[in-house]
Amino acid sequence: MARTKGYPEALEKKLHDQRYYREDSSPDFTKRVEGISRTIAHMCFQCGTCTGSCPSAPRSTYRIRKFMRRAVLGLENEALTDPDLWLCTTCYSCTDRCPRDIAPTDVIMAMRNMAFTHDIVPVNFLKTVTAIYSSGHGVPNNDVNRAARERLGLTRDPPTTHMYPEYMPGIRKILDHYHLKANADRIIKEREG
Amino acid sequence: MVEKKKATTKKTETKKQDTKKEAPVKQEVKKQAPAPAAKSVAAPGVTTKPEDARIGVFICHCGTNIAGSMDIPAVQEYAKTLPHVAYVDNYKYMCSMPGQTVINKAIKDNKLTGVVVAACSPRLHEPTFRTATKEGGLNPFRFEMANIREQNSWVHMHDREGSTDKAKDAIRIAVAKAALLQDLFPKTVPVEKAAMVVGAGVAGMQAALDLAAAGIKTYLIESTPSIGGRMSQLDKTFPTLDCSQCILTPKMVDVGRSKEIELMTYSEVDNVEGYIGNFDVTIRKKARGVLTPAEAEARGIVGGGCNGCGDCEAVCPVIKPNVFEIGMKPRKAIYINHPQVVPLIYTIDFDSCVKCGLCVTACGPEKKAIDLESKDEFIKVKVGTAILATGFDIFPIEKKEEWGYKRFENVITSLEFERLICASGPTGGYPIRPSDGEKPKKVAFVLCAGSRDNTGVGKPYCSRFCCMYSLKHAHQLVEKMPGCIPYIFYMDIRSFGKAYEEFYYRIQDEGAKFIRGRVANILEDPKTKNLHVYADDTLLDRPVDMEVDMVVLAAAIQPAADTERTRRLFGVSCTGDGWLQEAHPKLNPCGTTTAGVFLAGVCQGPKDIPDTVASAEGAASAASIPIHKGEVELEPYFATCIEERCAGCGMCVNLCPYTALSLVEKDGRTVMQVTEAKCKGCGTCGGFCPGGAIWMNHFATPQIVAQIDAFLLGGEQ
Repeated sequence: MARTKGYPEALEKKLHDQRYYREDSSPDFTKRVEGISRTIAHMCFQCGTCTGSCPSAPRSTYRIRKFMRRAVLGLENEALTDPDLWLCTTCYSCTDRCPRDIAPTDVIMAMRNMAFTHDIVPVNFLKTVTAIYSSGHGVPNNDVNRAARERLGLTRDPPTTHMYPEYMPGIRKILDHYHLKANADRIIKEREG
Repeated sequence: MVEKKKATTKKTETKKQDTKKEAPVKQEVKKQAPAPAAKSVAAPGVTTKPEDARIGVFICHCGTNIAGSMDIPAVQEYAKTLPHVAYVDNYKYMCSMPGQTVINKAIKDNKLTGVVVAACSPRLHEPTFRTATKEGGLNPFRFEMANIREQNSWVHMHDREGSTDKAKDAIRIAVAKAALLQDLFPKTVPVEKAAMVVGAGVAGMQAALDLAAAGIKTYLIESTPSIGGRMSQLDKTFPTLDCSQCILTPKMVDVGRSKEIELMTYSEVDNVEGYIGNFDVTIRKKARGVLTPAEAEARGIVGGGCNGCGDCEAVCPVIKPNVFEIGMKPRKAIYINHPQVVPLIYTIDFDSCVKCGLCVTACGPEKKAIDLESKDEFIKVKVGTAILATGFDIFPIEKKEEWGYKRFENVITSLEFERLICASGPTGGYPIRPSDGEKPKKVAFVLCAGSRDNTGVGKPYCSRFCCMYSLKHAHQLVEKMPGCIPYIFYMDIRSFGKAYEEFYYRIQDEGAKFIRGRVANILEDPKTKNLHVYADDTLLDRPVDMEVDMVVLAAAIQPAADTERTRRLFGVSCTGDGWLQEAHPKLNPCGTTTAGVFLAGVCQGPKDIPDTVASAEGAASAASIPIHKGEVELEPYFATCIEERCAGCGMCVNLCPYTALSLVEKDGRTVMQVTEAKCKGCGTCGGFCPGGAIWMNHFATPQIVAQIDAFLLGGEQ
């Protein structure tokens, strides 16, 4: 700590992060990522096509190539604690274009899954869970949409759980099976009181 | 475009008429049956009187290469004003068939006595236009080239006016020389039906086998006691993972068995004289101390000579590091490199032999194979062509001190790793840490170790096969030692060959870890003898300090130690790095600027095994052409002595770098004589001769003076 006396804690943390790494944090991380994502993450040769294709990259600090690199080297903590992990829009452009036929999007999804088991997840994602639990939609229908649909000659509600609310118990059953709602509620409560 | 063309043809037509009016009689003279040289001119050979010269100038656009950076019509108009010029034309591609037809037709229609083509470098198209000149009915040496591309339009691309002026100068100079050009006739010399290959690595062996298969007697010279070269030190070969010895040994045996190949191991080229078709080569057979069965028989020891039994080695008391195993194994003063050696003949290292005589006793009175008093022998052979295949050495990587080779025990070179991973190597094929003999668990491979280095310590070039053999090493580690992780520190993975990228994919899939970043330095933990590898993981943008058990340096390669001496003997030039210089990197990669000498394998530049063998086959094919043809044509650029001016002082004789000159008695006086086949036309003698008695064909003093005058006087003289 003496090394950066007087610097704010955030900077101290950043400097700590940038220090030499001596050991790969978790040698089986690559294998676990591959187990969940069902893609050959270890074959990444860091060409950068993924970041080049990424619509998020020019607008944020999200660099998918770096996450692929962390997957290959087994840098688990670094990958899972990086807030950028949650900036992927899952558009799958990188997966379409990867020359080694890897699905980087699925690697990101695998990492998010693993992060969630450590309660590492932004609150807005948890609110999506709550929304799905109550309506079956991550983005539920609203009056503006309903008016637009009417103008286009569509039904006010789409033929989903909005139109068939009798399917909601099934959806809740799935979410409850994985304790998703309970965990989401718990974490939101911890963060927001 | 069409209008311009019309204008050109019109003008040339008028010019034609003009010249016809001028002197119809003179033209008849210029038809020139080879007339004897006029004594007053003192110029040997056939020539046209300068005042009768009729020169055609042909300007090439080379697409836009030339036409894009200069004003061709202006150059053409200028050329018409030059003295002796009887015809001027231009064409989009002068070297094309239609372009050559333009020249051909113009010579006939305008009764030209000389041709000037303003186009590219003579290195590229001089032969083309000489042929065109010949087809037009002139002697092919009545052609002169003005380079307005490489030395003009390409370098003055953005100076249209300047390049146009320079092209005018170039053409004026060329025309001045063309007016004085003479008919020349190339000499032919017979070619000895034998070839020599220097170096018996995989390149030399392949070249010798190909030459032998073509029915050519081939001398294969190898400086070490056995053939096989670097490839015999390797364990497996990428990307097929063939065992190196398994694919090499059959070739070695073929070389040993071939009736056409005279294998001379432990021998060096000592001296070379002569020229293409007739090289006289002196070979020094180093004192080996051991007789082959044939040599024993020649001494009257029937059924004697070395049979490779090894009894001598068992009793020899002197122990030395084994050079073949890079010092990782001992050997005796009498030794063979490995069990598969060809020829299977022992060698005494006289630098360490104490001449105790125990080996002589062990060898016994029947074989009598050992001669402790043997001396170097010199053998002279005559060959038509020669192939150099002198190979490479590992760069002394300890010079790059930051990586600690020779300071830290567990830092080794890739060639050492190759011996350690080789089943016949010092450890039986299992790499161990030199410090404690333990099996390594984490191994770092340092790529570009000494390559791509402009500090003057390392080598500026890419050594071309380190990426691939390091991938192979990583594979071998993973295969032989489960749990061991290879870390490959690289700048780029250059896997450019057939099936190489696929090999890279495979090795990554097998678990090798790739870290993009050149290793900055290596430090040793003095207690554990582990190594800390410092680099930048440029992909993560973070410095790395990785602790590993062992480091393998993929050291750069450099020309073999004796390359410099050998190339001087054969008169072959080299690049700044010492690699031998090919005649043209794309169009003549196996030839050299010395006729009859060819290059095979890595001596020309770093190559992997497939490229080496391909280059060897190319060299063998090229070297066999003059031999099969039976005779070669020599450029008639040799010097000629004008005997009435020669004082016989003999000073030129010593100056000649090719020993082509000698003094002879003729009509009661001493004069110089040129051995035309040896003369390269360098001009050293011609420039020096105090009496002006040496006439350099095609570069004669009056021709060169005319060129200088044309340049200095400028404009229309």
